[in-house]
Amino acid sequence: MTETSSMAPAQAEPGSETLAVRASGVDRAFGGVQALRDASFAARPGEIHALAGENGAGKSTLIKVLCGLIKADKGTVEIFGTEVSRVVEPAARRRMGVATAFQELSLLPDLTVAENLLLQDPPRGRLGLVQRRRLAPAAEEILNRYGVDDIDPRATAADLSVAQRQVVELVRVLAGEPRVVILDEPTAALADRQVDWLAGHMRRLRDAGSCVIFTSHRWREIESLADRVTVFRNGTHVATRDTLSEAEAVTLMSGRSFAGAYPQITTEPTDDNALSVTNLHSGRLAGVDFDLRRGEILGVGGLAGQGQRDLFLSLFGAQRVRRGTIAVDGKAVTIRSPKDAIRAGVGIAYVPEDRKAEGLFLPLSIRDNIAAATLSRRATAGFVNRGKERAVVKSIVDQLNIGAGRSTNRAADTLSGGNQQKVVMARWLLTEARILLLFDVTRGVDAATKHDIYELVGTLAAQGRAILYYSSETEEIAHLCHRVLVLREGRVAAELAGPVGDAERIVAASIKEGQDA
Amino acid sequence: MSSRRVLYALGGTVAVLLVGAILHPGFASWSSLRVMLVVASFTGFVAAGQMLVVLVGGIDLSIPWVLNGAAIVLTTSSLGQTSRAPLAILLALGVGALVGLGNGMGVAWLGVPAVVMTLGMNGVMQGLTLGLSKGLTCASCGSYAPEPLRGLFDGALPAQLFLWAGVGLFMTVLLTLTTFGRRVYAVGVNPRAAFLSGVGVRGVTVALYTLSGVFAALAGIALVAYGGQPSLGLGDPYLFESIAAVVVGGVSILGGRGHYLGVIAGSLTLVAVTTFLQAQRVPEYGRLMIYGLVILAILFAYGREKAHD
Repeated sequence: MTETSSMAPAQAEPGSETLAVRASGVDRAFGGVQALRDASFAARPGEIHALAGENGAGKSTLIKVLCGLIKADKGTVEIFGTEVSRVVEPAARRRMGVATAFQELSLLPDLTVAENLLLQDPPRGRLGLVQRRRLAPAAEEILNRYGVDDIDPRATAADLSVAQRQVVELVRVLAGEPRVVILDEPTAALADRQVDWLAGHMRRLRDAGSCVIFTSHRWREIESLADRVTVFRNGTHVATRDTLSEAEAVTLMSGRSFAGAYPQITTEPTDDNALSVTNLHSGRLAGVDFDLRRGEILGVGGLAGQGQRDLFLSLFGAQRVRRGTIAVDGKAVTIRSPKDAIRAGVGIAYVPEDRKAEGLFLPLSIRDNIAAATLSRRATAGFVNRGKERAVVKSIVDQLNIGAGRSTNRAADTLSGGNQQKVVMARWLLTEARILLLFDVTRGVDAATKHDIYELVGTLAAQGRAILYYSSETEEIAHLCHRVLVLREGRVAAELAGPVGDAERIVAASIKEGQDA
Repeated sequence: MSSRRVLYALGGTVAVLLVGAILHPGFASWSSLRVMLVVASFTGFVAAGQMLVVLVGGIDLSIPWVLNGAAIVLTTSSLGQTSRAPLAILLALGVGALVGLGNGMGVAWLGVPAVVMTLGMNGVMQGLTLGLSKGLTCASCGSYAPEPLRGLFDGALPAQLFLWAGVGLFMTVLLTLTTFGRRVYAVGVNPRAAFLSGVGVRGVTVALYTLSGVFAALAGIALVAYGGQPSLGLGDPYLFESIAAVVVGGVSILGGRGHYLGVIAGSLTLVAVTTFLQAQRVPEYGRLMIYGLVILAILFAYGREKAHD
């Protein structure tokens, strides 16, 4: 819309003719929120370039501007030296060789894997009509070419696991052999094995001269993959470096510094059982037994898709239990719905992994979001006691340090990802549940918020709450938990005393016995 | 954002009235406004129900024949006698509630898409109404609405308008001050998250469809009181009107957003537009086309508004 005077070479990079991607002076606001402020970014062909920053730093917005999904309010974007700021159309960028995999999975859920993969260019017959029977074989050929053999091209996208959907999305992007590949949080949903697979392809593309740009909240991946790192904070470029230590990066990203990545577990569990599960069958679970004590953080590990999600959902009443008993404080309970689980006598809370799909009411206010699970407790004859609600919400917002000082009337979608996750946590803390089921709550959350969440989990355990903790980052489970259950094929395959410390031990226990490693 | 839409809808009403008053002296006189308000109140009733189901992403296509059926139940069971009026009213509302309950159960428990469920129910009600009243030729079918009901429309400030104000108050209190209202918006925005927050999504859905049936029946009672006798096809215009009022009133057709105040403004705008087009001597077919275009224009404007935010 508005032109800027063509700026002097970006602070980040001289010699724009050799650059694959260059953005300079980019501004972009959403409503009143300034997501990008005079942002610059440059990446060369033949490099893997990591884009790091906390939630709300503007990484996703920058990526959307780069791939032509949204237009910058101000500033210029160049692809291989061609100015493209005015073209807002991903298809046009794709023709220039730019391919993007987004954080929000963009597969069409009702189509098959094959239809999704070949959406843009399906096999056609003489009349230009799509030849349906060639779809699946063509897709299978593409999947095989990229070394994916565990996904049926005829399966409907909605039936795949989150990780599998992410793999399909990535294959779709890779299949174009693009000159510029942009991957927004590509590994957040992937298991370690799939991360290795992706890393291989990223390196191969780089070696072939493509420019690979990716974001990740896992420092380990940035360290092992990236040739260079650019750090963003508050919508603007902070630094671009060839090497960067984790401590430095965290300081650059947050403007604060942290002592250690994981806080020490300082408290011991009590001897009282809060939750006892016997012979539980539900979904993939084929007979799970365990006890969870008050004050204990019990980790659930294992390869992805071994029934971890089934365990959490069935304990919360969100999924049918075929067989088995659940006892809370020694008394057997029947939990047929989340409503039953939340009930005072039971007191179970479930914080989901996918906060946008399962946790938040994005257009509603922060207050409505936080109050949602405890409405009746502050109501008289069905009428909300607004004064009480405001007070209760304010105190929990302060306690968790959610977007400090801002009005709770704002819509939840104006918050950054980390604060959104805290909003969901706040909702469940208000239920005063004594058993917390935390399912991958740090996924896609920035380092500072992760740290806050670790501390919070520790505090909650110290208060005597029982916590069942799953994370797609095995490291977390290895460090945070008093004890770790390893699930394999719907059963508890191993139990490790914690803190395990070394994530490899959990991985080893996950793949022992006839598993393909 | 949805409160801004309420302002748009109110602004629309005022704009149409102003243009009308300039081109046709007397267009905005009290006697003319009084008629418009009364006519708008019928739309306001059905749109209240329609709005409730639209808030959870549903739709109620059974409104026309629930309305018509309730109107006929009222006259045939009261036989025009004042003493029978209270029972007849309860019976008519009960029919509406029962049909709405059926709709809600079908949608919430059987998982039938709302369009299919309520369209089917509309057909069932049409058949039942025609069959039981023998095409409105039955012995009691010539009855009039009881006298007190017809009095709803007398006077300079008809009681009907107070009834509409009452509906407005009920809707506003229900949706903004109660836990039920909060749950409605939660289900409308994200049913999965609502379920995982312990909201009885099915119960909420059933309650909303039931209320929609009751409001359709209420409109039927008011319409038969207004016209004196029921007719077949009495409810036909109100399917379109109810959806139009909801959309014009700024309720998101996808659910989760909107206020009844906007729907009131939407009902008024629709009636003002109709009255204006009549005054301009635009024929019926032209009015229908303009109506359709107005709704498309509004949906287009709201679509752009979202893109900007």
